[in-house]
Amino acid sequence: MTTLFLYIDPGSGSYLVQVIIAAVLGGAFWIKKFWRRIRSIFTRGKKEP
Amino acid sequence: MSEITTHPASYRDPAGFVFTTGGVHYRQVNQSYSAQYDTLMRSGLYDHLTKEALLIPHTEVPDIVHAEAPNTRPIKVPNVSQTPAPYKTLLPRQLSRLSYAAEWCPEQLRDAALLTLTIQQLAMDHGMTLKDATPFNIQFDNGKPLFIDTLSFDKYDPAKPWIAYRQFCESFLFPLYIHRYAQIGTHKISAAWPDGIPASATARLLPFSSRLNAGAWLHVFLQNQVGSRKRATAEQHIQFSKAKLTSITEHLQSLINRSTPRPQRPSAWSNYYSKTIPGKTYLEKKQQLFRQYLQAIEFSDALDLGCNDGLFSKILAETGAPVIAVDSDWPSISNLYRSNTPGIHPLCIDLANPTPASGFANAERAAFTERAASDLVIALALVHHLALGNNIPLNLIAGYFSQLTKRRLIIEFIPLSDEKAGELIARKEVPAPTYDNRQFEMAFGESFRIDKRDPITGTDRLLYLMTKR
Repeated sequence: MTTLFLYIDPGSGSYLVQVIIAAVLGGAFWIKKFWRRIRSIFTRGKKEP
Repeated sequence: MSEITTHPASYRDPAGFVFTTGGVHYRQVNQSYSAQYDTLMRSGLYDHLTKEALLIPHTEVPDIVHAEAPNTRPIKVPNVSQTPAPYKTLLPRQLSRLSYAAEWCPEQLRDAALLTLTIQQLAMDHGMTLKDATPFNIQFDNGKPLFIDTLSFDKYDPAKPWIAYRQFCESFLFPLYIHRYAQIGTHKISAAWPDGIPASATARLLPFSSRLNAGAWLHVFLQNQVGSRKRATAEQHIQFSKAKLTSITEHLQSLINRSTPRPQRPSAWSNYYSKTIPGKTYLEKKQQLFRQYLQAIEFSDALDLGCNDGLFSKILAETGAPVIAVDSDWPSISNLYRSNTPGIHPLCIDLANPTPASGFANAERAAFTERAASDLVIALALVHHLALGNNIPLNLIAGYFSQLTKRRLIIEFIPLSDEKAGELIARKEVPAPTYDNRQFEMAFGESFRIDKRDPITGTDRLLYLMTKR
């Protein structure tokens, strides 16, 4: 098997930053979901907009 | 046999290269890229992308470069004969006009960015990924961005983050962030940083308030912080997933969708025709004369210099001819691009400093002048800006316009007595002594034959139809 040299440099730290961003975005998703659940306790009976 | 020339910008990617013979552009796919090319074609990705007009379509043709002994075919670039064995030779649909991010308004860069992300998402669904994300992979065709680099696709490994993430940020996201916060055109940023503006420079250019923006904080400031540390070795062991990359591309998509708010303050030039010109009769008379001139001539393409909001470009486009509409004022170009008029290709060009030839050896991208030459050039309410505002002598303007037009020129002359011309010299001590319609006709008479000359009712302005000598 031949190994091709990478023709663009992903950049130092660019993989790590994507890991952090994905974690933050994932966290934000869970917080939003959690927040919606809490809100639904107080708005029970009303339809979600 | 015609000569084979490799494209001077097609040297980066080892997957293949673009070459030209007999005025037709081809793309060779090298043997080393055969697996990726087959995945693109067989996974359904190519069909999906071309069906939705996101990727340039091509047909496979027999090998041209190695078809005959090198001696029988003059090859301009010596390394063509040493090129890797071809896997396929592709004949892509030919594009007539090329333009670059250094000439696009922010909305054009935004749409090119969104196209890149859409293609990345579709590629991931078909087991592929984009190995680069640069505006040079994109051209505008019928007013819409089109991905032209068929060899940008690589096999997707979900355990790895996006290799082109940093390039995407530097070439698309960061110029759009600077645009959003500083209200400047992205074309100047792309011209200064053709390979993208680094996070470190972007972080210094953005105002403090941008740190409160989650998107800017994550993609600019965090990336700048992380990128400045040396952690490359640790990155080899990073585990990623498709869901994570999808959340990042969706996040980028939502940020880019919000990156081009409508300009709050109108620029000096937007609404030039609708607001600042007194007297509707002037505009009506000018349009009437313009339409008469158009009926007297034939042309297959046109170039509108100083197009402003594109009123006359739209009249030109009604004839069915493709029109390049240029102006140095990017908000005007943004307005024209937003109007989405078929046949009009709007570009941010300052005629006192048009896009130069650029890239390695000044050979990768041709100068604007070379790309823009058209059958018909129109220059309405423009010459006084170049002559009085930029101090360019009339004979030099005439010489440049004769380079831009292949045949005809419709040009308006605005004398010093006109209010708009007067404003341009109000703060200059000596009014230009060589600026009147006699001097104008003498200067343009050297390169052009004057076919028609009509005063525009209610003003001292004159409209001319000229033919190149």
